[in-house]
Amino acid sequence: MIITRKKDLKEIEEYIENFDKFFLIGCSECATLCGTGSEEAILNLKQWLENNNKKVTGWMIAKTGCQILGTKRELSQYRQDIEEAQCIMVLSCGAGTQSITELFEEKPVIPVNDTLFIGNMRRLREFEERCRACGECFLAITGVCVVTLCPKSMLNGPCGGYKDGKCEVNPLRKCAWIVAYEILKKRGLIEKFYENILGPKDWSKANSPRMFKEK
Amino acid sequence: MSNLKKKLINGDFVITVEITPPKGTEISQMVNKLQELKLLVDAVNFTDNPSGKMRMCSLAACKISLDLGFEPVLQMTCRDRNRIGIQSDLLGAHALGIRNLLVMTGDHPVMGDHKEAKPVYDIDSSILLKLVNNLNNGFDLNGNKLNGKTEFFYGAVVNPNAEPLIPQLKRFEQKLKMGAEFFQTQMIFETALLEKFMEHAGKFNTKVIAGIVIIRSKKMLHYLNSKVPGVSVPGWLIDKIEGLKDEDVEKFGVELAGKLILNIMEQKLCHGIHIMAFSKVEEVKNLLNFIKIKL
Repeated sequence: MIITRKKDLKEIEEYIENFDKFFLIGCSECATLCGTGSEEAILNLKQWLENNNKKVTGWMIAKTGCQILGTKRELSQYRQDIEEAQCIMVLSCGAGTQSITELFEEKPVIPVNDTLFIGNMRRLREFEERCRACGECFLAITGVCVVTLCPKSMLNGPCGGYKDGKCEVNPLRKCAWIVAYEILKKRGLIEKFYENILGPKDWSKANSPRMFKEK
Repeated sequence: MSNLKKKLINGDFVITVEITPPKGTEISQMVNKLQELKLLVDAVNFTDNPSGKMRMCSLAACKISLDLGFEPVLQMTCRDRNRIGIQSDLLGAHALGIRNLLVMTGDHPVMGDHKEAKPVYDIDSSILLKLVNNLNNGFDLNGNKLNGKTEFFYGAVVNPNAEPLIPQLKRFEQKLKMGAEFFQTQMIFETALLEKFMEHAGKFNTKVIAGIVIIRSKKMLHYLNSKVPGVSVPGWLIDKIEGLKDEDVEKFGVELAGKLILNIMEQKLCHGIHIMAFSKVEEVKNLLNFIKIKL
């Protein structure tokens, strides 16, 4: 899932100071799991805007904010509320926010959230980055994503900086390569792994902006 | 062939020393140090923005050393350059007469004085070794033919203090396979861990140079232990130094390093030492005087 965090309201205040009427759009997917695009998040924002003498003309939660056509269809019934609003505020990830921009180019669209990373939820609203979307998945070989979990994206084993199995960059975290080593050991693959080296990695697979169309 | 390579092949015990290039344009202090060290040791290693702290590049410092008639070792990390920049710098280094390389992945910028920097890490040290091997064979990393090949004598680093050790030993073997011709160890404080590592390394035909640090203050010891990646100061040594008066620490530091070196030499544990004295020439002199070699 895409992990998002609500922006500081001070930053949002600056974006909206010249507007009085707003339409709010949430997202029922990742942002809802993150608590940043759910009904509760929308109602909290609505309350805050109203406390600041602003008007909310309406709100909705898109099923999948990043699905442009589906979101367009869902929004058609809110046409009047959106027309009345001077500005649309989007409570989703950056992709969802840009769906709305694409649909309403003439109206200011403000992201309420910052998009952080692709990750997993360990406990409620506790997230860990797991994937860098590098375009070349080595998980079959390494067990855990060392491109993401190792701050140096080491492909061929640990650097010399780990201490008591902990990472040089964040001593509270286990070295990703020690985690990978333990998995490979359990699978009986240590020797096989070190027979070859991985890379040089083809980072061009992650050159932005990326496009993909299934044939 | 570089003098360092010649000596290691001959089985001579080599002594190298580490110099951190200046943070600024003022090179006279470094030049003075090099002139003194030239008479004392076999080669000088110039660090590549160690701990991610921005300084003059190792390549320029190596060239300054060459001009003074003193053989340098260029340290090259993967932190600040992608594969294009690394190869380009290495070809330039070769053209300037630099022949010794020590390659490593490099400390993360989060430890340094530009913590906000975007780290590169396009390749890791294993691929960097492969890259140097390719350059030496007349090809770039992608196998394109070069107009003139390099003749680098290239080494890699290994950390015998690493806990757990086995992944580090596997990396050592991997670097050997990638063509590393010698190894320099992270700083060691006691022979026990080095012995354990050399038990393994001894099975392979390679040269190992042990990293030796001269401790000069309690503050430095704590800095090394808490801030320098991959360095773990043994508890007994922290207790010992804590028990000393501040003014006695430096003398103890030289003696400790000296005894360690004598022990390594007597046991023929490895093939040389690399002194990490943080550019303090006086301490290097004191240390070499203590072990009565080269002076």
